[in-house]
Amino acid sequence: MRTPRLMLALAALLVAAGLATSAAAQGSKTTITFWDAYSSDGPEVKQLETVIIPAFEKANPDITVKDVTIPYNDLHQKLITAVAGAQLPDLVRSDIIWVPELANLGVLAPLDKDMPAFKSYSSAVFPGPLATNYWKGHYYGLPLDTNTRIWVYDPATLKSLGLSGPPQTFAQLESMSAEAKKQGVYLYAESGTGGWNILPWIWSNGGRLTNASYTKATGYLNGPKSVAAVQMLVNLYKAGEMPNIIVNANGGLGTYDGINQHKYDATLDGPWAFAIFSSSYPKATLAGSLVPAGPGGSVSVVGGEDIVLTQQSRHKAAALTFLRFMLGTFAQRQMAEAGQMPVIKSSEGWLPSIHPYYATYLKQIATARPRTPTPKWTQIDQVLTNDIAKAFQGSETVQQALDDAAHKIDGLLQ
Amino acid sequence: MLRTRSTASSSSGTSGARVASPRRPLSSRRRRELRDAYLFLAPGFLLFALTILYPIVRAFQISLFHWAIAPGAASAFVGLANYAHALHDPVFWRALGNTGFYMAITVPTQIALGLAAAVLLDARMPARGLYRTLYYLPVVTSWVVVSLVFRYLFITDGGLVNWVLHDNLHLISRNINWLGARWTAMLVLGILGTWKGIGWSMVIFLAALQGVPRVLHEAAAVDGARAWARFRAVSLPAIRPVVAFVTVILVIGGFNVFISVFLVTNGGPFDQTQVLLTYMYREAFSFLDFGYGSAISFILTLIVFALALVQLRLFRRPAGAS
Repeated sequence: MRTPRLMLALAALLVAAGLATSAAAQGSKTTITFWDAYSSDGPEVKQLETVIIPAFEKANPDITVKDVTIPYNDLHQKLITAVAGAQLPDLVRSDIIWVPELANLGVLAPLDKDMPAFKSYSSAVFPGPLATNYWKGHYYGLPLDTNTRIWVYDPATLKSLGLSGPPQTFAQLESMSAEAKKQGVYLYAESGTGGWNILPWIWSNGGRLTNASYTKATGYLNGPKSVAAVQMLVNLYKAGEMPNIIVNANGGLGTYDGINQHKYDATLDGPWAFAIFSSSYPKATLAGSLVPAGPGGSVSVVGGEDIVLTQQSRHKAAALTFLRFMLGTFAQRQMAEAGQMPVIKSSEGWLPSIHPYYATYLKQIATARPRTPTPKWTQIDQVLTNDIAKAFQGSETVQQALDDAAHKIDGLLQ
Repeated sequence: MLRTRSTASSSSGTSGARVASPRRPLSSRRRRELRDAYLFLAPGFLLFALTILYPIVRAFQISLFHWAIAPGAASAFVGLANYAHALHDPVFWRALGNTGFYMAITVPTQIALGLAAAVLLDARMPARGLYRTLYYLPVVTSWVVVSLVFRYLFITDGGLVNWVLHDNLHLISRNINWLGARWTAMLVLGILGTWKGIGWSMVIFLAALQGVPRVLHEAAAVDGARAWARFRAVSLPAIRPVVAFVTVILVIGGFNVFISVFLVTNGGPFDQTQVLLTYMYREAFSFLDFGYGSAISFILTLIVFALALVQLRLFRRPAGAS
């Protein structure tokens, strides 16, 4: 009897020792969770998970980063569900248009209060992307990557059309679109009528969506310059010089497939288009130029993502360490190689050496504007999508459609 | 047993009036039976209460508020304002109309074609098992896959359907904008739903038809009834409860259409193809108006509940029928 008892006691001691060791090991290591919508079509996720996070964990052996990549179209709903269930992660790479909404829900930590040395980081990034984190007196995040839309085209298709270069002005866009149509090609394909799609044309024509304080759309969205910009696109569409996908996502080939098959020559798009094309359509070659200029110049729309810290985070210090790392030169440069445009000012020196097309993006972003910073942006965007589509389909004139849209947006801005 | 006792006690009254008899205590055996019955019912009822009753009650509660989703945040009570909003919202009415249209297309066709397939596959024929499997295959195929396939089939420029109709058969002068207009898009969604659902109704009908006694068919045949007459006079009355069941389930399913619409048109273009659930989903999860979203879902629950009751009443076996 004695031997089995001794054996049992020994086994119990070993188990207890094992548990204690395991607990000690876990106690010394903090795990933070990071939700993002980096694209797995291109090299973004791979770059994050095989280069950046391992480098961070090597430099910070007491912190483990659990990366959760969620498709962009699902991330917003997942965030909302997590808000309701109090299950948010420590850090989120949020689309810039969601930050006011999340801040308004009270689930984000104000970094200008909670992050030591916030100013040294905020002053190192471009002011435009930084402004997208501002909501009711506080900064609720820092920009992580930025982007804008430029004229992305296939030079081979353009050459086959006998055209010497991409359109530089509205007038050239109109004449070249007519020329391309004669040869069975759409010069310009656009995949929607939302703010991301239409605002570059309105702004480039000198129009506006709202007043400067973002409180009123009537008199701006339905002003003569905004109407003329949309009218130009409607004219192109009605002349059969733009594909149906601007109104109906199922109207034809998507922009990438269309460009790859030489049915379309160009679209407006961000820097990821080049990365996706090089991996998905390796035979195609893209080039970029500025959005065709109108009376208001060549003005595009600011896109990008911010990195935000949630109020629920139980490891704020560790999360902020990772946040700072993501804004460092190493991580910014690595993601730039994967097609993500950096936000740190110091990148202007080295960015064009990574990819030549970044030079055009840097030039375009200098004049690019953000969409209206409001928690109601999703609704505003839906109004734009629906009402402007009516003008394309011909059920309303452009003026009527923009009058209606402006009236509805006024209500949402109150 | 209870009925016998009651009858006995009432008939014992001297003036013909019902005399209240003192309630007899239940025997210990009866109590045990009742306890066992409730014990067996309890898990199912708990599950039902947790997954059906509680969400319904909670949805109704949320629909009375301007609901703040963050835990701990105060929600403003707005009474029936969300319901009033729905009644004055043209997109809600369009979504309701589209949902009704979808149901009107998919329910009769699934019943008719499912029943026809079941009758055919009930007969002795070569490769019957293979055909049964083939008909059932769409049911087990993922909604996501099927929806994306249909989306690509019906793309205006470059879709297979227009390619066949326009480029090959020259039946149409220009490509049809199938998914860009309300009724053609709803028609496509209806075809999708029907194609995917026929196999399910077929299996249920097939099981019911196999339960109809062969002797009845043989007797009818001896009396000179042909196949159609036998189906109408023997099979159909025998499977009437199953037809009722399939109809009720299909109507509920039709009103709950979501995945196919969400993936094929996402309610677009400009809300022309919204159905109640896609509209509810957008209001709640995109616009964070959970109060209004809950009101829409509660209205949907009421409609489905009312329709189910009406159907059950309509299908009730006529008095005196065996």
